[in-house]
Amino acid sequence: MEDKTEREKDTIILGVIGSDCHSVGNKILELFFTAEGFKVVNLGVMVSQQEFVDAAIETNAKAILVSSLYGHGEIDCQGFRDLCIEKGLDPIILYAGGNLVVGKTPFSVVEAKFKKMGFDRVFPPDVDLKKVAELLRQDIQEKFGSDSREAKLDKSIQAKESL
Amino acid sequence: MKPVISIDIGSTWTKGALFALTDSSLQLSKKIAVPTTQTNLVQGFTEVLASLLNREKLTPLKQMVGKAEIYFSSSAKGGLRIAAIGLVPDLTLQLAKLAAMSAGGKVIRSFSFSLTKSDVAELEKLQPDIVLFSGGTDGGNTKYILENAHKLEDSRLTCPVVYAGNRGVAEEVVEIMKSKEVIVTENLMPEVGQVNIEPAREKIREIFLKRIVNGRGLSEIVELFGSQPKPTPLAVFELVSAIPQFHPDWSDLAAIDIGGATTDFYSNTESYLETDTVILKGIREPRVKRTVEGDLGMRVSARSLLDTGRVYIEDRLRNLGIEPEVMEKFVEKISGNTEYLPETEAEIQLDRILAETCVYYAALRHAGGWKETYTPQGKVYVQTGKDLRRVKAIVGSGGFLAAEGSAEVMRLPLEKLRSFGDEKKLLPENPAFYRDRDYLFPLLGNLVEKYPKEATTLALASLEIASDEGM
Ligand code: B12
Repeated sequence: MEDKTEREKDTIILGVIGSDCHSVGNKILELFFTAEGFKVVNLGVMVSQQEFVDAAIETNAKAILVSSLYGHGEIDCQGFRDLCIEKGLDPIILYAGGNLVVGKTPFSVVEAKFKKMGFDRVFPPDVDLKKVAELLRQDIQEKFGSDSREAKLDKSIQAKESL
Repeated sequence: MKPVISIDIGSTWTKGALFALTDSSLQLSKKIAVPTTQTNLVQGFTEVLASLLNREKLTPLKQMVGKAEIYFSSSAKGGLRIAAIGLVPDLTLQLAKLAAMSAGGKVIRSFSFSLTKSDVAELEKLQPDIVLFSGGTDGGNTKYILENAHKLEDSRLTCPVVYAGNRGVAEEVVEIMKSKEVIVTENLMPEVGQVNIEPAREKIREIFLKRIVNGRGLSEIVELFGSQPKPTPLAVFELVSAIPQFHPDWSDLAAIDIGGATTDFYSNTESYLETDTVILKGIREPRVKRTVEGDLGMRVSARSLLDTGRVYIEDRLRNLGIEPEVMEKFVEKISGNTEYLPETEAEIQLDRILAETCVYYAALRHAGGWKETYTPQGKVYVQTGKDLRRVKAIVGSGGFLAAEGSAEVMRLPLEKLRSFGDEKKLLPENPAFYRDRDYLFPLLGNLVEKYPKEATTLALASLEIASDEGM
C-alpha cells in the first residue's frame, strides 16, 4: 500500500455524528486509517449528516465511517443513507462504529437496525481495526473496482509535473 | 514634493483627490467630484483631472500627461459582475462567492451542483463579466465539474471563465471548453475546509485589467498614463488589508460602506480562535474578507431593502411611533430619485432607519455565530462563519456613513443583532466607531500598492470619531 501516491489513495470520511464530542477514538481512527494507506478527511466531532455528505461529494470519497459514542447513535444516523441517495452518492460505502449499543440490547439486534438504515457494516467498540481496514479495501474493490477514472487522469498530470 | 492624483469613477460620481507626497507623508491638497457620464467614462475622469491640475475644464487628456502620478479605480457600469459556480453550497460555492467579493466583484448569481437548462439560460441572459467556476477538492469530485463544463461550452456565454476547481480535471475542462476563454488557477478548496482564494482573486484582477477595462472604454486612460485601474471595492479591500501591517494598534478593524445600490462590509481580523470549548464547522474564513449585498442600499435598492429588512424596520418604526405607510411613501419617493437628499427632520430620521437596516443585515451576513450545546464539561459552542468579536474599530465609509456624524446608526443595529434566533452573533465586542468623513478610503486604496505606509497613515489620520449623541 505504501507505494500509492497521495492522488491514487482512496478517500474516506471520518467523523463523530450528532452532538457527540468524544474525540479520542476519532483521533485514533484518523491515525490508523492514514497509516493503512487511505486518504482520510477527518471532520472531527459533532458532525451533522449534511456535513458528512457535503465533504463526501467534494472529495469524491468512497466511504464514510461514522462514529457514535454517547448513546444517541441510532437517532443521529436515521435517514443517513436516504440523504446520500438524495445527493447522488448512491454507491458510497457506509460504516458505523463506537458505542452503538445502549443498555442490555444484544449487538446483533443493533447491527440489524443499522443495516436496515442502509449501513453496509456495523462494528462494536472492541473491533480489531486491522480487520476493518481489510474489509474496507475489499468493499471498495467490489463497488468501485481498482482502476477508477481518477487514478488514470492523475497519472497524466503527474507525468506533466515531473517534466 | 510630488503631486499624486487618485480618481474613482463611480456609477453616479467621479471623485478625485490631489495629494502632496513628501519624503515620509502624504497630504490631501484638493478634492472634487463631478457627475459620471454613463456613455463616456473618460469624460468625468478628464474633468476631475483638469480641475485637480488647475486646468480648464475641456483640457484634452493628452496635455495632462506627466503632470502628476495618476492612479484610478472604477465601479461604473455595474462594477465587476461575477457569476459563481460551486459544487456544495456550504463548501466550494461559498468560497467562490467569497473569492469573487474579495476581488472587488459583485456576485450577480450563484449556482451549486449541476447547472440546469434554466440556469444556463439565465447565465446567458445576465452576461456576467466573469464566470468563476469551482467545485471538488484536488483529486475529488469530477462528475459535476465535467458535466457543467460541457454545459458552459454549449452555452452562448462569451465572458472569460476562471476555473478554480479540482486540479485533477483542469486540463480536461480546458479541452471541453475549447470555444471559451478558460483561465486555470489553483483550487479554491484543495482539501475539505482548506481555504485558498488568493490565486483566483489574482486571476480575476488580471481579467479586470485586460478585458473589462477595454469594455468600459477606459483603455485610453491606461495607455496615456500607464496606470492600471482597480475595481473600487478592491481598492478599499487593499487599504483595509494594509492598515494592520503598518499600524499595529489597528490590528483588528472593520469598515462598512452603504451606497445607493449596495452595502459593503469589510473585516480584517482572525476568523477563529481555537479553544476547547469552541468547535468550528464549515470553512475557516480568511482574515481579510469582503461581503457585498445587492439588496441593501439607500436609493436604487431601497425597495429591496424594505423587503429584506421588514422585521427590523417595522420594529424601529413601532418604537418611534411612526406609521409604516410613512416609510412606504418615503421609499417610493427615493427609489425613483437616486440623488435625493432628505429635506425635513422626519425624512432624515427615515433615512437613518434605512441606513441602520443596511448595517443590520450586512453584519448579519458577514459575521458568524455560535450555537450552544451542553456537555458534562460545561457549555460547548459550535461556531459557523467569522468571529468579529476582537474588532476594535469600525469605520463608516461611503455616501451615507461618511456624512452621518453619529455612531448610533452603526451601534444600535449591531446591539440589536447580538443574538439572532438561537445563535449568538460574533460581533465586535466593544468597538470604537469612526467615520471616513472625506470619503477617502477608495481614493487612498488606489495608492496602497505603491505607497502603503503613507496611504494607510493618511487614511487613519483622516478618520473622525463618530459622536455618541444620536437621534
Ligand atoms: C472520556 C469519556 C468522556 C469524556 C470525553 C472527552 C473527549 N474529549 O473525548 C467526557 C467526560 C466529555 C464524556 C462525556 C459524556 N459521556 Co463519555 N465516556 C468517556 C469514556 C470514559 C472513554 C471514551 C474514550 O475516549 N475511549 C477511548 C477510545 C480510544 O475508544 P472509543 O471512543 O470507544 O473509540 C474506539 C472504538 O469505539 C472504535 N470506533 C469508534 N467509532 C468507530 C467507527 C467505526 C466505523 C469503527 C470501525 C470503529 C469505531 O474505534 C475507536 C478507536 O479504537 C467512555 C467509557 C469507555 N471506557 O469507553 C465514556 C462513555 C463513552 N460516555 C458515555 C456517556 C453516556 C457520556 C455522556 C452522555 C455523559 C452524560 N451523562 O452527560 C457525555 C456525552 C457528551 C457528549 N455530548 O458527547 C457512555 C456512553 C454510553 C452509551 N453509548 O451507551 C460511556 C460508554 C460511559 C458509560 N459506560 O456509560 N465522556
